Amino acid sequence: MPPPLQRAALWRAASLGLWAVVLLVSSVDGRLDLLLRAVFHPLVALAGLLLLLVALVQLRLAFGAGRRERGDRRQARTLLLTAAIALLVLLLPPAPSFADLAGQRPRDETAESELSFVLPPAQRSLTDWVRLLRSQPDPRLFAGDPVRISGFVLPMPGEPPQLARLLVRCCLADASPVGLPVRWPAGEPPFPADQWLAIDGVMGLKQGPDGAERLEVIPSRIRPIPRPARPLEP
Amino acid sequence: MILTRLATAWALFQGLLIEALPFLLIGVLISAGARWFAPGGRWLRRLPSHPLLGPLTGAALGFALPACECGNVPVARRMLSGGAPLGAGLGFLFAAPVLNPIVIASTWAAFPDQPWLLLARPVGAVMVAVGLALLLGLVGEPALLQADLLAERRLHQPLAAVGLLERSSGLVGAPAPPALGAAADAAPPRPPLAELMKHASQEFLQLALLLVMGCVIAALVQSFVPRSWLLAVGGAPTLSILALMLLALVVSVCSSVDAFLALSFAAQVTPGALLAFLLLGPVIDLKLVSLLGLLFRPRGLVLTTAGAGLMVLLIGQWVNLWRQ
Repeated sequence: MPPPLQRAALWRAASLGLWAVVLLVSSVDGRLDLLLRAVFHPLVALAGLLLLLVALVQLRLAFGAGRRERGDRRQARTLLLTAAIALLVLLLPPAPSFADLAGQRPRDETAESELSFVLPPAQRSLTDWVRLLRSQPDPRLFAGDPVRISGFVLPMPGEPPQLARLLVRCCLADASPVGLPVRWPAGEPPFPADQWLAIDGVMGLKQGPDGAERLEVIPSRIRPIPRPARPLEP
Repeated sequence: MILTRLATAWALFQGLLIEALPFLLIGVLISAGARWFAPGGRWLRRLPSHPLLGPLTGAALGFALPACECGNVPVARRMLSGGAPLGAGLGFLFAAPVLNPIVIASTWAAFPDQPWLLLARPVGAVMVAVGLALLLGLVGEPALLQADLLAERRLHQPLAAVGLLERSSGLVGAPAPPALGAAADAAPPRPPLAELMKHASQEFLQLALLLVMGCVIAALVQSFVPRSWLLAVGGAPTLSILALMLLALVVSVCSSVDAFLALSFAAQVTPGALLAFLLLGPVIDLKLVSLLGLLFRPRGLVLTTAGAGLMVLLIGQWVNLWRQ
């Protein structure tokens, strides 16, 4: 006669298995690129594998001989709820609005002491530009430099939208925005918030509201692009 | 608008949760490993119960556990249920998230030009942990710890350590017969692997559920309360400390990475506020509250939050006087 099925162990195996699938699927479907900094990705995959192993052991116990567990209502509720949440996370992938998130956060103002190396202008990303301008505050040095950057449209209160990126040190919870002012072409409808754009152009000078000169991107070509696979910057 | 905000909160929730789950798993596996390698946990009961030495020993154990605060909770629960002195268990719970090699290394990596912080963070964490252990020790175990944890703990404690009113067996005043004492001191058998795995799986799922609740609250608060409100008072000495303490409660990132987060606003706030952020987050935050509910009764949670808040505020004030 086959041993009786251990129901509790089977449920545990199912719930743990679902969480393992959440971690493993997130590791391969690009979801982590949207949520976590890259250094944590292997840790998530490893945890997924470990959980899968534990779930398989539970599955083996479910069909193995052993003392029959007494049913426990609280335990059953935990199992059911965790399984349901894992399923929800799996079926509803994250779709954050970067502009909304950035609007809630103060600007990244990391004091850059000295940059170890500087890329040629046309190879600098938006983040490279922001860091460079912070470490070398004289805007006249950069006027006329070619610019090729990409980012999302971030509406600014009281001024034209900027092209922005999110910097993330751990996960989306600590994202802080950096942005560059852009001289948008006159007479054209504005781009909607969150739209990703690739901009080619040059750096130009303009008078800031306080009278000081500051840099802005003067685009020669603006292309809407899909959100890049790795939208977060370290 | 509200839908966009909710979609962003859902993504924040997933970010917090997926980042914390591996650490939770590490903690549960370490706790299961301890049950396997030291069944019965006799070494736990040999930890010092001195009010000062106990928490200090517990804090020092953090060096052996490279996990942050979520992984810490199952291990601390295992210590307490195994009969470790209360002070040692609490010292570990509160100080180990800071006093471990990974967190110290990440603090150094984030602030290489601020050596004072590298010293002040562990020292401050130990001060807060010892203070909290002393404070919570005053409440007494029955009023502090959750009922099922307490029951498990009583099984592993020598009868003499349990108050007369709490004993459910044994003779009052009579010393234990030597034969019985020796038998109780012998190592209990190693739990079968199946039992160990069952226990670990159940513990992981229970903690994961609590973690989910904490992450939901943290994600909602973060999406609906603009962070600029908290950082607006950056320059004022006391207000900036209070604001960053509130931020540490809300943002709920793990102690192994919070130094990098602090780096992004270090230039805008006072040094005391910066230290307060790095000290309070590992002890208590929105994500942790539900996890700690597995150890403490509500009174213990309130006392932990209030006591940690007060001590961190005082340390921050003192640092502001010293550094400015």
